[in-house]
Amino acid sequence: MTGRHRSGGHRVAVTGIGVKSPAGNDLEEAYTTVLKAEGTAASLAGWLVEQDHPVHFGCLVPPFDLEAYLTRRETRQIDRTTQLLLCAAADAVADARLPADLPPERVGAQIGTGIGGLPSMEAVTLSHGDRPREMPVHTVPRTMANSPACRLAMRYGYQGACTTYSSACASGTTAVGEAARKIRYGELDVAVAGGVDSAVTTVVVGAFARMRAMSTRNAEPELASRPFDVDRDGFVMGEGAAVLVLERMDSARTRGARVYGEIAGYADTCDASHIVAPREDGETAARCMRQAIADAGLRPADIGHVNAHGTSTLLNDRAEARAVDRCFAGQPPPLTAVKGVTGHLIGGSGALEAALALLCAERGLVPPIANLRASAESDLVDLVVAAPRTVPTAPVLSNSFGFGGQNACLVLVPEG
Amino acid sequence: MPSREDLALLVRTTVSDVLGTDAEDVHERTSLVDDFGIDSLELMEIGARLERALKLRIAVEDLTSARDVGEAIDLLRARTAEPV
Repeated sequence: MTGRHRSGGHRVAVTGIGVKSPAGNDLEEAYTTVLKAEGTAASLAGWLVEQDHPVHFGCLVPPFDLEAYLTRRETRQIDRTTQLLLCAAADAVADARLPADLPPERVGAQIGTGIGGLPSMEAVTLSHGDRPREMPVHTVPRTMANSPACRLAMRYGYQGACTTYSSACASGTTAVGEAARKIRYGELDVAVAGGVDSAVTTVVVGAFARMRAMSTRNAEPELASRPFDVDRDGFVMGEGAAVLVLERMDSARTRGARVYGEIAGYADTCDASHIVAPREDGETAARCMRQAIADAGLRPADIGHVNAHGTSTLLNDRAEARAVDRCFAGQPPPLTAVKGVTGHLIGGSGALEAALALLCAERGLVPPIANLRASAESDLVDLVVAAPRTVPTAPVLSNSFGFGGQNACLVLVPEG
Repeated sequence: MPSREDLALLVRTTVSDVLGTDAEDVHERTSLVDDFGIDSLELMEIGARLERALKLRIAVEDLTSARDVGEAIDLLRARTAEPV
């Protein structure tokens, strides 16, 4: 009944989920927020505004009790990125109720981050750039790109493969997909996999704004992230982490774990054309979707809905709509884009959206796209607008596309 | 030259700040290794902060050779008494 994956490898179950995101600090809360389709972006008065910054807003993780997760001593040594990742991971691990006697060498931390420790390097540059002899001793361990993954491994003693994936805005999807492969092909029994970024900072936001990639709708931040809408003017920077516990389906069944669903398909491709702009015809992204669906042993017609990357930039949304059209050959399933609510968590987005997509697929409810009034892409894709769309419980395709031409797609199959 | 009392307060405050605890939790007989499992980076951070506060070069061996906080304070007191 559990059987094997069509590749001959192990099937991969999702048995735990933890979320620290602008839409909420647990999965149910985030799900409820995205179903309401209300933007979470808010003005950052007192900070970006006073700096004469082109962007005055972002999507932040609502405050929560950090001391419930981390000692003050740990908090001192790590940056916000690693803090958010460790908190989401703690929730995911608790949710999975993993057995205490797992061999540590069969468990691995698999984390994606697009920006990594750059925000904390930015901070130390501003605070100590002219006083290098006085820099905090923990500067290197705090800012290393692999800090979140390695701190996670240290915390729980996971001695299996500990890998940090960096594929820009696709990092979280890459991490979950590659972690699933490691389980499928027998390298790990359990992977604590996810993505994180916390880069709502002067320099990082300013740098993205210089490319005109970011919305500057400063007077109406909650309306700024509007994927596939004709009035979009760029993405909104968010922050956050999402972590999924993945394990072999057969062991999950044997131990009676709660199974959210299966990571059934994954693929990644590269446009190899422009360092930040997506390929306009969407062909390499479409191939990525087709490969992920085929990897799951499915046909495009089996996909119940699509969780789009949908950043609210003209170039992404238009190329993605073309790619979806190519993949589904004019018969697209309903499509949503939760960044209208959450903003863009960069490395955190792919993992958060995989978790939300699985829950939406299980419950047969596709969230409407926030702030979407009129679209130039509505002839290519079936955009969900205004109210949640009811769909049959079916596999979901979750897309992530990153600067560098990175494409990563997951196919998740809900239980039931 | 700071009094031993001033020095003790400085050391206990610095240690507790780096370890994320309170100064009351750090006593003369506290062993940073046995009681807190301090790691080498934390020890270096404490050393760096004391160097700044006391305007003094502190050898790593001074920090690692002290068996407890009291002994470290005594060692620092001896160093501050030395002519520069």
